[in-house]
Amino acid sequence: MQKLFSWASKWWPGLIPLAVMWGFAAWNNTLPVEADLSARSSAALKDTVLDKTRITVDGRDVSLAADAFSEEGRRDAVMAVETVPGVRLVDDRTRLVPEAKPFVWNAERDVVRVTLSGSAPLPSMKARLTEAARKEVGGVEVADRMGLARGAPPRFEAAAMLLLDQIGKLKDGKITITDTKVNLSGMARELGGREAIAAALKNLPEGFSIAANEIKAPPYIFQAYKDPVAATVTLTGYVPDNNVHAAIATSASRKFTEKAVDNLKASIGAPGSFNTAVIAALGALSRLSTGTLVVSDREVKLSGDALYEGAANEIRAGLGKDFPKNWQYKPEITVKPAAGPVDGTVCQQLFSELLTKSKIRFANKRADIDPDSVGILDRLIETALRCPTTNVEVVGHTDGDGEDAFNQALSEKRAQAVIDYLVKAGLPASRFTAVGHGSTQPVAGNDTDEGKAQNRRIEFLVR
Amino acid sequence: MPYLVSFHLGWLIGSLLLGFCMGWISVVQRGNGTSKVAARWFAVLAAGLLAASLAHVVPGRFGYWLDLGLIMFACYLVGCTIGAWLRHRVVARTAPPAAV
Repeated sequence: MQKLFSWASKWWPGLIPLAVMWGFAAWNNTLPVEADLSARSSAALKDTVLDKTRITVDGRDVSLAADAFSEEGRRDAVMAVETVPGVRLVDDRTRLVPEAKPFVWNAERDVVRVTLSGSAPLPSMKARLTEAARKEVGGVEVADRMGLARGAPPRFEAAAMLLLDQIGKLKDGKITITDTKVNLSGMARELGGREAIAAALKNLPEGFSIAANEIKAPPYIFQAYKDPVAATVTLTGYVPDNNVHAAIATSASRKFTEKAVDNLKASIGAPGSFNTAVIAALGALSRLSTGTLVVSDREVKLSGDALYEGAANEIRAGLGKDFPKNWQYKPEITVKPAAGPVDGTVCQQLFSELLTKSKIRFANKRADIDPDSVGILDRLIETALRCPTTNVEVVGHTDGDGEDAFNQALSEKRAQAVIDYLVKAGLPASRFTAVGHGSTQPVAGNDTDEGKAQNRRIEFLVR
Repeated sequence: MPYLVSFHLGWLIGSLLLGFCMGWISVVQRGNGTSKVAARWFAVLAAGLLAASLAHVVPGRFGYWLDLGLIMFACYLVGCTIGAWLRHRVVARTAPPAAV
């Protein structure tokens, strides 16, 4: 031992190169040590739930700044870094994320995107909610503007997921969770969407309740477009059920000489008296040369060209009366420019063509003109206006049913009823003569219903 | 500690070798070496630094450098001891015939 001390007293000169080595070692290794410890600390924190994690290493001392979501999570994070081999001290700069009071979460949909905002309780849940929104609205942009906060009510995720399922059914709108209260506003994408959302909301997790559900149904739209060039009437939009569908289709085929193209779909949500209003509006459309009818909820818009001034006035003034109360009628009727005058022969041809394509209908065994025939009458009036110098014989015929005397009288009355209508429309009475032939001039056999229908007719003969 | 050793292994081996050489020389070197007083002061200084290191009172990079210095110094001392002891054995084995 004595010797050891005597040798040791001579070891000091080695301290000079040792100090130099130390200097080099410190120079070379400080940054690598810091980088290594930083990497190990980050790896140790991989499984902890933190936000805004920032690790800075000074020598072997680690400063950990982060937002934790619980006191326990915060402790675990610090402990995880403390146990990293090589770490000497941990400067704990962690804090708990702020608590949101009230805890508010929003999902808002507009034309171009879905925006998620407000607070989410955990980063992983934030990602799950964004992902769920993406799946629900497929293709539409989803903007994640959610922050993180503590204080979410229990079963928040289940509630938010259920509400996100509804965002796909909205055209636009906003869904908000405020603590355990849910508010919804906006417009459903399709008819029935509002009802579907209301049904889904019954499955909200326990504890959550609906504060306000102001989801509106989209307008109930029925459209008809009359195209004189293609000779079609196109019906699109919604009808309440198959019975109304059939009634509208039958009415359209009686009112229009054009072919009806039926693209109607059945859907719930029709306003009251839909049937009556639409059939009345179709009657008005049938009087137009070209026109569009749009029924949107309780608003009826009719635009197009009437065949002559009198018809335009009648359509503008008259239709509103046919509608149920609290329906609005907005006519935008112009008058088709009058066609050039023609001579008697052409006029006769035009009358015959019109009456072949369609016919003037009357009430059964009576001389009252069926309202469905106003379309054809307007066309006959328009034609009569083109040959103002001619005189026209209006001839009535009946089928073979009933007594001859009755049929004779009926045919005359019907012819006269037509003349009355023409005169009322502004044509001079002197140009028209009513003639009745009863069932004496059939054009088909009276033994079938079809034949009888052909025999019941009105003819216009230019004299 | 294991981390420091494994990370700086090259430098520690260097210190050990340096110590070994110094120890090897010290056995046969003539002269008085450091005085006892100086040696005591040095020992006190070393103990103080060791205490500072264990108590983690020196912050950040300086703390790390202190730990590194101390551990290199410890290796140096171990090297010196081994070197001196081995040289002493070598000297003792060759000396007896000369004494006879």
